[in-house]
Amino acid sequence: MNNKERLKSAFESMMFVFGEPIDAKIAAAATGIDKAEAVSLFRELACEYEEEGRGIRVRETGGRFGFVTYEENYDYIRAITTPAKERRLSQAALEALAIVAYKQPVTKSEIDRIRGIKSDRVVEGLAEKELIEERGRSEAIGRPVFYGTTGKFLEYFDLKDLGELPVLDDESLEEAIRDFSSYGADQENNGEAWGQTKLELSEN
Amino acid sequence: MSTNFLLHCDYTVLWYTKGMSYRVRLNTFEGPFDLLVYLIERAEMSIYDIRISEITAQYLAYIRRLEENDVAVGSDFMVLAATLIDIKSKMLLPRMTEEGIEAEDPRTDLTKKLLEYVRFKKAAGLLEAQREYARLKLEKPQEDLQPYTGVPDIYLKMDMDGFIAAFRAFIHRKVKGEELLRMQSHIERERISLESKTSRIAGILEAAKKRIVRFAELLSPQKEDEKYDKVVTLIAVLDMAREGRLRAQQEVNFAEIEITGTEE
Repeated sequence: MNNKERLKSAFESMMFVFGEPIDAKIAAAATGIDKAEAVSLFRELACEYEEEGRGIRVRETGGRFGFVTYEENYDYIRAITTPAKERRLSQAALEALAIVAYKQPVTKSEIDRIRGIKSDRVVEGLAEKELIEERGRSEAIGRPVFYGTTGKFLEYFDLKDLGELPVLDDESLEEAIRDFSSYGADQENNGEAWGQTKLELSEN
Repeated sequence: MSTNFLLHCDYTVLWYTKGMSYRVRLNTFEGPFDLLVYLIERAEMSIYDIRISEITAQYLAYIRRLEENDVAVGSDFMVLAATLIDIKSKMLLPRMTEEGIEAEDPRTDLTKKLLEYVRFKKAAGLLEAQREYARLKLEKPQEDLQPYTGVPDIYLKMDMDGFIAAFRAFIHRKVKGEELLRMQSHIERERISLESKTSRIAGILEAAKKRIVRFAELLSPQKEDEKYDKVVTLIAVLDMAREGRLRAQQEVNFAEIEITGTEE
């Protein structure tokens, strides 16, 4: 086995033991190679898993690498387990999170301004979920706190890095406006408001 | 204006039945911009050319309906209402100055804000869809690495005095426990075994020399633990009858059992 294969095998073992994603920096230090080299070996490993169609894949998020299950096997995993019901993020939370993701570092008042409504509670909730975190303070009056997204944010949305966020350019804006127009058209037919009617069933 | 306008109200209806609450949320608007964008699209207006007077009337009507239905309308909604009225009044003024220069369209700022909001609303939708995909990929939680990290057990982190004290306490508890166990064995009544009862019965029957012996005569003279004695005696009698060492007879239920030895 050549040196490269040996290192990849070591990384594989390390990911197995670690459970949660392992920082390429740590893996590099452990094997005495530099970080860039470690990252490219991890990526090679990820490709191998993919090419072989394995049920376990190597996922890269924010410079960290970890094992995840292959998404198309989700139904099989469900068949043998009862995954905890995920509380989905509210529309308000998603809006605030999108603003933080695309405009970071961003202050709460900027989020309020864009949404046209106070977002204190929403921002607090996102910080509690560790999807956003404080990133120092602005030099503006009152030195408001800056917010940015976390490593957990990348994992939550399965993004390699922030560069993988969908592009929000003028073209996508045009598209967004078209989407809203089609909402309007649908409504004329069925008289329902855009956005789904949400039905929640909760036990007291 | 559509007749189902009220349907889009931002209110929550609760029904209670047997400890279960059904909550129906009818199209909750996330904020004043959300509502305004909805109204604009509903009226099939262009976001770049809002018919301010029409949309202001609809916006205010909506807010009024909310208030009539006892829904608390946030101050943020009122701020936008004021902005709309302000723009509406400016639209009535001539936009040409005396020098013939066209002043800025009073709607420009609002349009810009709405466009920015729409952009992030779109982004929020993209994130939501992305999460739907991401949640199909499961990962393991952080493993317990303690066995591999070589962190010593908590006891060994103690200083010598603490360790000695802990060890003494442990010995003390152990000695106490053993003492208690010894006392328990003293307190416990010595109970006659089936074997010794059998041999005692054999002795009585031998002494009786084939004369009939009543069951009661086989019981221990001590009255303590009578029930236990009766049970053991009966089992011993039955056991010996099975082995053919005695014959037992009982005329009717609950009558005296008469026993005769068979051994020479």
